[in-house]
Amino acid sequence: MDGSLVLFGHWLQNMPYALAIAGSDWAYPLVQATHFTGLSIWIGTIVAVDVSLLGAGKKSTPPLQLSDALLIWNWIGFAIAVTGGFLLFSVSAETYLANVAFLTKLGLLIPLGLVLHVVIQRNAPTWEKASETPPVAKVAALAELLLWLCVATAAVLIPYVG
Amino acid sequence: MIAVINGTAWTAAAVEILHYFSMFILVGSMVIVDLRVLGLVGHRQDAAQLADRLFPWIWGSLGLNFLSGFLMFAGSATAYYRNDIFYDKMGVILLAIVANLIVQKKVSNWNQLPTMPAWAKLLAALSIGLWVGAIIAGVEVPALTGVG
Repeated sequence: MDGSLVLFGHWLQNMPYALAIAGSDWAYPLVQATHFTGLSIWIGTIVAVDVSLLGAGKKSTPPLQLSDALLIWNWIGFAIAVTGGFLLFSVSAETYLANVAFLTKLGLLIPLGLVLHVVIQRNAPTWEKASETPPVAKVAALAELLLWLCVATAAVLIPYVG
Repeated sequence: MIAVINGTAWTAAAVEILHYFSMFILVGSMVIVDLRVLGLVGHRQDAAQLADRLFPWIWGSLGLNFLSGFLMFAGSATAYYRNDIFYDKMGVILLAIVANLIVQKKVSNWNQLPTMPAWAKLLAALSIGLWVGAIIAGVEVPALTGVG
């Protein structure tokens, strides 16, 4: 398993596009900026929905239907973030695959975050319409916020543990 | 104190996490408001109501972003202030904040019109462009100074 991961990492970071990004002065920062722009849209739309579920900001009439309204941009942000993230990963895949913070981020925290996110997204339209937000919605929203904060934490820790 | 924060691994990491996460909330929330003005998101949602909901988060996360950014800056101030791109970043952010203040002030007026005025859409598009520009300048700062 470890051996094939190393082989995969080695193969990926020697792909022409990965070598091109690594060898260019301007491409790498631009790919980073792409990753962060995607993340801003992804996290911004998530926080808007979750914070509303948590009840910050009074219930308005008619209630905002943020989850549905932001759904498309939420996943556009995700697609941009994943594209940028995959390119960043490709540049030093071998190093990332040996990094415990990266493996925790990608193998554990992001899958958990995505599962919880989809559960919230499926239920939010009902929760948002309710006159009282159900407690389960608040717990889920708070858990999701903390989970994405953990993802960011793991990401920042990658160079610290590497 | 600044030297201790930046010299200790866990506090330096905590400041960085705060800077990134508050940036995501700041830029993401502002982009939502801008996209609504542009008519590209949730036209069934009231623009003024949406702005009311998001602006406290925009300004709150800007405060946290500034605070964490200042701590990072203070740790290596000499490396930053010799760096042109750092001034570009601050300039772009200042312009973005001005654009956002105008959107916040005017959005309830625009909301009462049958369609968003062209200059409102232009301002919203400019605001998105400025924040993306701030992110690009932001990644160039460590790329060119080796700090941050």
